[in-house]
Amino acid sequence: MFYLGLLLTLTLLVAALFIAPLRSKIWVAFTTVIIAVAALSYPAITALMTAHPIVLMQAQGPIFGAENLSIDSLSALFLIIIGIAGIATIIYSRGYLAQYLDKKSSVHISLHYAALVIMILSMMLVVMSSGGFSFLLAWELMTIASFILILFDAQRAEVLRAALAYLIMMHVGFIFLVAGFATLHATTGSASFEALPIAFGQGKTILLFVLFLLGFGMKAGLFPMHVWLPEAHPAAPSHVSAIMSGVMIKTGVYGIMRVLWHISNTQELQTIGFIILAVGVVTGLWGVILAALQNDVKRLLAYSSIENIGVIFIGLGIATLGLAASNSIVATLALCGALLHIVNHSLFKTLLFFGAGNLYSQMHSTHLNSFGGVAKSMPVTAILFLIATAAICALPPLNGFVGEFMIYLGMLNSVRDGVNTLAAAGGIIALALIGGIVVFAFTKLYSTVFLGSPRDHHVAEAEEVDNMRLAAMAIPTAGIIIIGIAPQLVIRVLTNIADGLIPSATPIISGYITPTLGRVSLTALLIIIVIALLYMLKSRAQRSRTIEQGPTWGCGFTSPNIRMQYTGESFSENLESITTSLTQNTVEGRAVSKSEIFPSAHNYHVRHKDKIDRLFTEWWVELLRIINKRIMSLRTGKINHYILFALLFLVAIFILSLFNIL
Amino acid sequence: MGIALNTLLMLIVAISITGVINRCRAILAGRKGLPFFQHIYNVRLLMRKGAVYSTTTTALFRIAPAVYLGSAIVAILFIPIADLNPLISFEGDVICFAYLLALGRFALILAAMDTGSSFEGMGASREALYGALIEPAIMVGFATLAMFCGYTSFADIFAHEQSFNLHLTIVMLLTAYLFIKIAFVESGRVPVDDPRTHLELTMIHEVMCLDYCGIDMAMIQIAGWLKTASLSMLAANAIAATGCFHWWFATPLAILLTGLSVGVVESTQARNKLVRNTTFIVTISALAALIFFIGYLLQLNINI
Repeated sequence: MFYLGLLLTLTLLVAALFIAPLRSKIWVAFTTVIIAVAALSYPAITALMTAHPIVLMQAQGPIFGAENLSIDSLSALFLIIIGIAGIATIIYSRGYLAQYLDKKSSVHISLHYAALVIMILSMMLVVMSSGGFSFLLAWELMTIASFILILFDAQRAEVLRAALAYLIMMHVGFIFLVAGFATLHATTGSASFEALPIAFGQGKTILLFVLFLLGFGMKAGLFPMHVWLPEAHPAAPSHVSAIMSGVMIKTGVYGIMRVLWHISNTQELQTIGFIILAVGVVTGLWGVILAALQNDVKRLLAYSSIENIGVIFIGLGIATLGLAASNSIVATLALCGALLHIVNHSLFKTLLFFGAGNLYSQMHSTHLNSFGGVAKSMPVTAILFLIATAAICALPPLNGFVGEFMIYLGMLNSVRDGVNTLAAAGGIIALALIGGIVVFAFTKLYSTVFLGSPRDHHVAEAEEVDNMRLAAMAIPTAGIIIIGIAPQLVIRVLTNIADGLIPSATPIISGYITPTLGRVSLTALLIIIVIALLYMLKSRAQRSRTIEQGPTWGCGFTSPNIRMQYTGESFSENLESITTSLTQNTVEGRAVSKSEIFPSAHNYHVRHKDKIDRLFTEWWVELLRIINKRIMSLRTGKINHYILFALLFLVAIFILSLFNIL
Repeated sequence: MGIALNTLLMLIVAISITGVINRCRAILAGRKGLPFFQHIYNVRLLMRKGAVYSTTTTALFRIAPAVYLGSAIVAILFIPIADLNPLISFEGDVICFAYLLALGRFALILAAMDTGSSFEGMGASREALYGALIEPAIMVGFATLAMFCGYTSFADIFAHEQSFNLHLTIVMLLTAYLFIKIAFVESGRVPVDDPRTHLELTMIHEVMCLDYCGIDMAMIQIAGWLKTASLSMLAANAIAATGCFHWWFATPLAILLTGLSVGVVESTQARNKLVRNTTFIVTISALAALIFFIGYLLQLNINI
């Protein structure tokens, strides 16, 4: 029944989108998402406030038996994230796609909107499904829809390549998920997440966990399965990158949390906690270092998403270890930190990708070094982007700080209480290094794009985008500021989720975390007040002084020009010199050599590619080539050799049958 | 009362350290040198000046000094002086402190890049990298304190005199050493950076503020003093906690510790080659990890 209804709804939706006039397609999509959000918001909010899951309907799949479509507090949180990001994305897409309406066919636009709506709806289904067939179906729908979304600019070769790589990698992950659910079904007779404790009771914890980790980790972009992210995001239109990076990769985290929720054996929790922490540390560090080296706005943002997934996993790992050591304070702090970071990242990453979209639609480039001084021509975008940049650098008084604060506090408590001291210390070192390099990466991004002087005349002539897009960007901005200034209000929302994993989470949140966050909030206000006060005092004092305008001080050099500005490449040159072993550089053109006294015009372009990229492509191809070469040496072209091979084959068959092996 | 005294003493420490450094350098070099309060006169002079802003810059350039100074001001409000209480204190304020320093750095880097000057870009890029690499040292230093004292806020970590204990003394002295080293990096002193250098190509901190003048420059300098004072006070507190835990001991200790060590190092050592700086700073982070590990072993009561 459910599947019939789903099919009917989707068909109707697609039909409506295809029939609607070109400029109204956006409103059909918008209405559909609004209806879905409105219909789910009441049960979602109820589920978040109460501890009991709300069962919406039953689904009878062809395999794996019956499953529920239900909302509990964890799915409710994800539903809210999906809803907010979904609405913002659709609103944003109007302005972003406006320039394509004349260029692309109506079918193309309809297909894009159909895929966008189906992707949002299928993400909602993913977090509502209790597992098994309905989960896999929704998961696959999500993958296919996002594949079509990435393909929007399919006439560009690199887009096609990125989309195909995405599709293939997602299906490799999908196989692991199917294997996971099949194992679960074979062991317990049910493929829903609720059956996990029974399977875990039969000693299959690590096997099942690793299967699900591989399956979900592919979507989440865990190291070394992250290679699709930095390819897919620059290829996709910006609003698609926004929702993919802000929300879709989080469904992978959601899946792992679902599995994690059902593990109760302390010994196994300990092992799994170490696995999660280690994966988080490696993913985070790898992501952030590669991010700092990138010279493409969207690729940098994609690597930063990988880094943020790493931070979330560090939090989850510490929470799991705390749980294993039955240290509820550590577990609650780290878990709430990880959950809040999921929310935070969905807000600022959406905003950052929207910003990148503004840049691309006005200046038709995402290459860092083609911008410069955009803050003057697009001031509102610049301010919103600055807010998101400061938030992703985890700077107080914005939301990114609050999430990392709780993860840090969890780790410091873990160190203090002497449980898993060394693991927690490792987490602290990693998170501190990640935090430091994030500042490096994003000051590079922001300053090369928005500050300084324009490096290109397109940039100097750019105009601010339409108000609709700015309104869409205001939605995540509001979230960033509210969570940053009043975290103690937001944290209550997480109580029921944390309670599902940690027995005594409620008193800890209300008695310990909320007052601490209250102090953080006061500090945030204090920072804002002090800064505002200082700025006002300064402005007042300067009113009576002579304030002049002049060129930038050239240190005695009298004819500086725009091309002498620090570029993204030169900004990260010092970091690059200590991380060369992580990347493989592709160089186009030739750099100016030191012996050239009067250098002529040079064209020099470096791309820092991920070494892991090779793991999925070239290494295997190389391996196949070597094997083939060996086999080819058998093909001698002499008939007597071939008769020998036939004889050997017969002898082999004979011997095998002699021992009853065949 | 205690809180007011604490804040006041922090300001005195902040003002005095630079004076001690200047006097110390002058005496070691056998010069007459600057008067103790010369840097205050300089700042007062800057305060009275007007300003020239580059036409390349945006509003961010004018706000940045306020952010830099504001974050430094809030940061020192977390720091206790031995037995006195700081103005703000809550569990986890050590993290707030570290991130406030990051906020200031973030603002100054962006401001430097806002001018579009290649010199300032140079400084900004270096500052960003060194800031990133020193971050683990700061956080692990705090983790060591949290592990040994059992608290995650400065006020609680340095709340009471600990009875004499060899293990504690070892860890506290090592941590103090670590914080002094961090103070060297954070305040841009020899051997990482040389505030007196006259070649822009080799500067780090100074080159970032090339386009600032007047009140903005004064704000940046004051923020620098406050940052140095807070790290120096942490080191002094760690030493005081091993024996004489009183504000009248910790305050002069903080002034002399950093003042003399910076003065002596600047008089006797040359600055690093820039490529050596990365190694130098990563070594500090490694040192922090080592101190943490020593603390961990000592806490397990392993006989050494």
